[in-house]
Amino acid sequence: MRGAVVPGVLRALTMRSEMESSYELLDHTADLGVRVTAPTLTGLVPPAVAGFYATLGRIVPQPDLAPSDDFTFEAAGDDPAVLLRDLLAELLHRFDTRRQVLTDALVSEFSATRLAVTGRLRPLDAARSAPAREVKAVTYHELGVRPVPGGYEATFIVDI
Amino acid sequence: MSPKHPVPLERIDACRWRIPKSYQPGMRVDGLIYADDALIADIQKDQAPVQVANVACLPGIVKHSLAMPDIHWGYGFCIGGVAATDPEEGGVVSPGGVGYDINCGVRLIRTNLTRADVQPRVRELVDALFETVPTGVGRGGQVKFGRADLKKLLAGGSRYVVNEGFGWEEDLAVTEAGGCLERARPEYVSDRALERGADQCGTLGSGNHFLEVQVVEEVVDRTAADAFGLAPGQITIMIHSGSRGLGYQVCEDALKDLRDVPRRYGIELPDRQLVCAPVHSNEGQRYLGAMQAAANFAWANRQIMTHLARQVFARVFGRPAEALGLHLVYDVAHNIAKLETYEVDGRPRALCVHRKGATRAFPAGHPELPEQYRAVGQPVLVPGDMGRSSWVLVGNPAALDETFGSCCHGAGRVMSRSAAIRAAQGRSIHKELLARGVFARARERTGLDEEQPEAYKDVSLVAEVVHRAGLSRKVARLRPLGVIKG
Repeated sequence: MRGAVVPGVLRALTMRSEMESSYELLDHTADLGVRVTAPTLTGLVPPAVAGFYATLGRIVPQPDLAPSDDFTFEAAGDDPAVLLRDLLAELLHRFDTRRQVLTDALVSEFSATRLAVTGRLRPLDAARSAPAREVKAVTYHELGVRPVPGGYEATFIVDI
Repeated sequence: MSPKHPVPLERIDACRWRIPKSYQPGMRVDGLIYADDALIADIQKDQAPVQVANVACLPGIVKHSLAMPDIHWGYGFCIGGVAATDPEEGGVVSPGGVGYDINCGVRLIRTNLTRADVQPRVRELVDALFETVPTGVGRGGQVKFGRADLKKLLAGGSRYVVNEGFGWEEDLAVTEAGGCLERARPEYVSDRALERGADQCGTLGSGNHFLEVQVVEEVVDRTAADAFGLAPGQITIMIHSGSRGLGYQVCEDALKDLRDVPRRYGIELPDRQLVCAPVHSNEGQRYLGAMQAAANFAWANRQIMTHLARQVFARVFGRPAEALGLHLVYDVAHNIAKLETYEVDGRPRALCVHRKGATRAFPAGHPELPEQYRAVGQPVLVPGDMGRSSWVLVGNPAALDETFGSCCHGAGRVMSRSAAIRAAQGRSIHKELLARGVFARARERTGLDEEQPEAYKDVSLVAEVVHRAGLSRKVARLRPLGVIKG
């Protein structure tokens, strides 16, 4: 299923990305997979975040005027797939415990060894959202970031 | 996603298939899958057999990497997998062998109500359960625990909440491990996990979790059914849930903490979701301590929901729960790792038994069974889909010999969630269930669509395999009348 853009989320997430990017939900017997493609590593992050929120259901943050928190994520390591997973795990924790959604994201660096993202965490707009699934975790199974013709591809599976 | 490469399956008999350890470098033992011809065809459609082979690579694994007939593709371990490792031979514990929903499990409560008592009021009953037992994404519980009390709950499990008034003393005897793993270490549970689970004790959750009102439709083994207090036409309640956000975060924390551990101990793994640590290592002990605390949370969770269900039945039928005979039959975990002793190669060995979507199934005479079941064996609770049936089985001696006292845990999915949603388009699963005599309530339509009966194997086929294989035997078949879901 080719992902529909989540209003408000992907608007903010894609505005700073410099290329066409997309996410796709993948069949998995019990859970849900996400595959994203982009011309650059940095460009993988916005659709990965949008794809992650899509696994939760229809997730819409409150408008810009609503109170929000700063979000800063920095991680270093030796595997870009794990760095991306850690970002998504952090977003899951914020959503699960505080019902906050990332907007206005700026991916300042995504390399083989470092991921840095800033943005705003806005409250979930309960009236316009329809969370449909409880995602337990972003798993390591089938997790990957790899070069493909024309750019990069990332895959991850969430446990439902 | 489809299978990457075919896994060779050698037929042993009508219910057993071997994956030879020659299939993949690093396999220390053979894989062994319990399935008949019909189920093995479904099992080969996804990557579950590959995962059985991957688990066979874990250090210290004993006898076989096992898979029950309800196996399906998971992450790391398949769902329906069993693996025992010997700590004295470098055996490891792997959080992936337990899963994120630590001590996800099932409990069955019997009543002295009959179908005739309940059928006319099933909508009223299900509506009341739906309003009283919190269900769905992000729903917090009615019962709030402060941080200090939460730590006591993590140490005490069911015992703690029964002492707080959420249940009856007799419930503890018929809960696996008495509803409390004594070696739990609440101090190893992170603040993030406490935050995630703070208001979720006593909540059902979503996904495949449910609370069902059922009727005993068929009794196969009269002796065991009598011991379990089950008879045809009787109403039962089944609850399926786990450790909620707290358990998910304990697993998440462990997988992160253990990332570099295999490299440190020279362990090579075919899937990083199988990350692990030697049982005797500090890292392994730390995970086991936190995991056992999360398991205690799950038992407390199901215990509180039992209390809420008893309150609802008492309110709807105008009689105290005691007068309605709302006795717990049994509560069993199906996502857990436990240290248990088995005779292997002629000598007793204390093993770390991982059950990931597999139910403990101890036979008659086992010392861990409560007195009232010691003559017949442990109730094995096998929930099915919400349109067909669930089974109560009883453990057999063969389970101790072959599967480290383990058996199947459910129906097992055959349809992905996306495929289930596509299949539900233009249909009303709610109305289809009504036509089958099942009144269902769910917070979201997707909850029913993704969990529609056709998304699962027929649990009766699964029960038939373990019955024929001799791991457990059939006792009673239960049919849903009402269900609440997330």
